[in-house]
Amino acid sequence: MAETPTTQQMLDQEMIARIGRRDQSAFSAIYDRLSGPLYSLAMKMLGDPAEAQDALQDVFLQIWSRAGSYDPDQSSVFSWTVLLTRSRVIDRLRARGRRSRVVVASTEETPTAAADASTVESAADTAEKNDEAARVRYVLTNLPSEQREAIEMAFFEHLSHHEIAARLGQPLGTVKARIRRGLLKLRQRLSTL
Amino acid sequence: MISEEQQDQAALYALGLLDSDEDAAFESELRANAELRDLVRELREAAGDLALTAPSLLPPASLKERVMGEIAMETTRVVPMATRRAPFSWVPWAIAAALAVFCGLLALDRVRLQRQLADIRAADPLMQTTFYTLAPSAPAPADAKATVAWQPGRQSGVIRISNLPAPQSGKDYQLWAVDAEHKDPISAGVVRVDKSGVAQVRFKPVEKAEHVKAFAISLEREGGVPKKKGPILLVGTA
Repeated sequence: MAETPTTQQMLDQEMIARIGRRDQSAFSAIYDRLSGPLYSLAMKMLGDPAEAQDALQDVFLQIWSRAGSYDPDQSSVFSWTVLLTRSRVIDRLRARGRRSRVVVASTEETPTAAADASTVESAADTAEKNDEAARVRYVLTNLPSEQREAIEMAFFEHLSHHEIAARLGQPLGTVKARIRRGLLKLRQRLSTL
Repeated sequence: MISEEQQDQAALYALGLLDSDEDAAFESELRANAELRDLVRELREAAGDLALTAPSLLPPASLKERVMGEIAMETTRVVPMATRRAPFSWVPWAIAAALAVFCGLLALDRVRLQRQLADIRAADPLMQTTFYTLAPSAPAPADAKATVAWQPGRQSGVIRISNLPAPQSGKDYQLWAVDAEHKDPISAGVVRVDKSGVAQVRFKPVEKAEHVKAFAISLEREGGVPKKKGPILLVGTA
């Protein structure tokens, strides 16, 4: 059974509905709310500020043009935009013919060396967003290491389950099970924490 | 009941790891299986949350200007003109120049009107009121609705609810102000509807709410709770 949406999720849905009606102020508000986490994701996967900014621009133009077709039954607005961002980043990684340069030890809050055109989020970041990020980080770091490793390789490096199996020297079925168990645990623990 | 293999596929699907054939096959399975759709949604949310573990950065402010400029251009974009140079090709330029002058005059007029509006707002209490329209979300009935008239200066407001049936025994509806500067919604008290599902009450949030983004009504235990726990039934922005 699907969970009841949170207040923030419902506000996001309303913003997207308004964007679908070409409301630029709603678009500006959703940009302010989501550009930080989406840019952080693009930077982590691409490792290049200029490319991450181009990808983010593509994502927000897609949000503008596709808001009318957003389906709240399929995902929250945040997850929808994360998936759009991953998709645009993966297009760019494919175009440049190489994989993301991320380091899998990703749950550490390390300063990035490639932040020349960006600002490390600090005081401007809301307490709520920090809390949420800290909560996810806590849950992720407390997953069994082999499950966390498989999930991070799949999500941030966009390695297929076949590639992960080859890299780890594990059978394909084992890798699939690690991804499945890890994601299920992540969701379960996030919803109860 | 979802098999382990289906769960494997659902996790790979949520992470976008299935190839196009597997993807199409899984989507047709999804269409026929509501339980599997719920699982995929849950896994998608988990995958979405993973993005929050990336080191926190902000894009430069110039990017927002770029994006807002793009959508403004798209909104006003006109059908491109023929590339062949017309005999009176200076005419569009003359029109553009005239429009530029006209826009300048409009901008000046806008500043003047904004000043007048600020004066009126300061003098008229009604102009200091912001209205919020609250729309229903499951499990509220589809025709339930509410309007909030909120006066930030006075930190008080009035809510009118209609078509919201009275809650079951032991429960109450509670009003919340969602404020940009507070982590959690601020309680604005319990709201009781009459037999016809209508309520009109004056309220005052328990804490100062200077930047209210939205109001929401949730179903809570009788007498209300200090921190929102129950499902949201109505929510809306200004």
